[in-house]
Amino acid sequence: MADHPAVAAPLAAPLAARSGTGAAVLVGAAVASAYGRGTEALLAGMLSGQPAFSAVTRFDVTARRTSVAATMAGSPTLLTEVTRAVRDACDDACLSPPDRARSPLFLAIHGHPAIARVPAADRHLFSTDAFAAAVAERGGLANSGIRCYTSACVAASTAIADAAAMISRGRVDRVIVAGGYLVESDQFALFDAGRTLAADGRVRPFSAGRRGLLLGDGVGAVVIESAERAKARRAPVLARLAGWGRTGDAYHPCQPRPDGHGLARAIGAALQRAGIAAGDLGYVNAHGSGTKQSDLAEASALRLALGDAAATIPVSSTKSLHGQALEASGVLELIVTLLAVGKGMLPVNAGFLGSDDECRLNLVLGESLAATPEYAMSLNAAFGGANTALVIGRS
Amino acid sequence: MTHLAPATVIDLPALHTAAAAAGLTVLASACWPETDTDAEVKPLAGFIESTFSPLLAQTADRVLSRRPEPAAPDRVTAIVIATAFGDVTSATHVARAVDLGQRVGPLLFFQSVPNAVAGYLAARWRLTGPIACVGGLGAGLDIAAALIEDADADEALVVWVDLGVTEDDRDRAAAIVVTSTR
Repeated sequence: MADHPAVAAPLAAPLAARSGTGAAVLVGAAVASAYGRGTEALLAGMLSGQPAFSAVTRFDVTARRTSVAATMAGSPTLLTEVTRAVRDACDDACLSPPDRARSPLFLAIHGHPAIARVPAADRHLFSTDAFAAAVAERGGLANSGIRCYTSACVAASTAIADAAAMISRGRVDRVIVAGGYLVESDQFALFDAGRTLAADGRVRPFSAGRRGLLLGDGVGAVVIESAERAKARRAPVLARLAGWGRTGDAYHPCQPRPDGHGLARAIGAALQRAGIAAGDLGYVNAHGSGTKQSDLAEASALRLALGDAAATIPVSSTKSLHGQALEASGVLELIVTLLAVGKGMLPVNAGFLGSDDECRLNLVLGESLAATPEYAMSLNAAFGGANTALVIGRS
Repeated sequence: MTHLAPATVIDLPALHTAAAAAGLTVLASACWPETDTDAEVKPLAGFIESTFSPLLAQTADRVLSRRPEPAAPDRVTAIVIATAFGDVTSATHVARAVDLGQRVGPLLFFQSVPNAVAGYLAARWRLTGPIACVGGLGAGLDIAAALIEDADADEALVVWVDLGVTEDDRDRAAAIVVTSTR
């Protein structure tokens, strides 16, 4: 594959081209994870510093190399959980039924969860858009403008960036972005086959001795609205969605570009849109999958994009706690970032065994860190070399 | 929002019309099948069992090679994939193996998301823009237009692909390279 191809400079486009005139704000959030349903359960889990991984009982894992994931109790279904998150996020945003009925849904999922096991003659009924439409209908949202993103681990973060861009340019005044992944047998088998699951049952982002990722349930929804509209209806603002960036590595089908240049461009674009310098960031919620190549590339990207500030900005990957939620990662981790900033406590980068010289960062280690950042950033990267960066600012 | 007929009946004139409605200028277009010689999709190294990624790559290669002139080196091109059902052949293969208690081949892991073939195309053609995969072609065109308007891309490769999901269907794909008219 390509050998470090030349790419455009991080700040190639002028700010005026990269932003609309409006501001986008987060006015509602809801979540479910292995720590339970609700933002309070997630925050408590994050601040406990105790990873949520346990033996998988949802399906048979006896033939797999790893038998651990972060799963919710019971037998949750994706449609029910995503619909619940959408409704709860709309409640959190104090949206009336007519407001909801005017709001489009951008949903991030792997695909229709039933399509692989229905009779061939019925498959045409199981498109990803059909699933999204079912969520929108059950959640009381608009029946048009629905999008279903399936871009792997940047699906939800791309949807959030796209929603923010549309709101910034006045195309819409509100979007509900949701994402969902519940650990199931097929993806577990695939990740096992790809030898990416951590055989030692822990996720150790940026650490020496890291051995891979572990899957985790993640369902989340956020309400993104124009600041003007939120102010007009006196909605409580959780945070500003201050900046976003999305780029590609142009490097390999499934490996990240080792020098992190693609992700660095996404970070640069997000900082540029937010109108801040690297040193203004007070926290980075890293993609931090816990795999050798991905963590190395991300650490390189952070040093490249943030310069000297990379040595001091607190960084943690909360995948070490809640696991890898695939297509839902972007919304789950944005909510983690939102909660951390709101609480003034930055979650720990769990599982750390020792320094990896190639992943030098100011990791939050040992226990949660008290801090009140004005700005925080959430990063995601995916197969294909897709990268996203989202920056939130205190309201 | 861009409105389109169901993806299974999309043809190139309809695609050009929809792109124009989304504020996009079409620089090149292609589809599969185009002629009687498009009987079988060529295999793509590293991708197995399913025609999804090979078909997507072949159609994208076709449209990118038809550009009237090569893109400037610093031009940023986004990749937007629209697929209603995704790689249903690979998905059903994996589900069958899992249900029978069999192991799954490692190559199936690497092709388990449409991003993988997007990454193949990005590396081959030096496409450094964002990668997005969505369920509908109308949404895909809207995303392409928005990425260009938002200056995260100068142009976009939009590929629609769907495998025949019933015995009467056949695999189909269409692709365009677009820039903004705005």
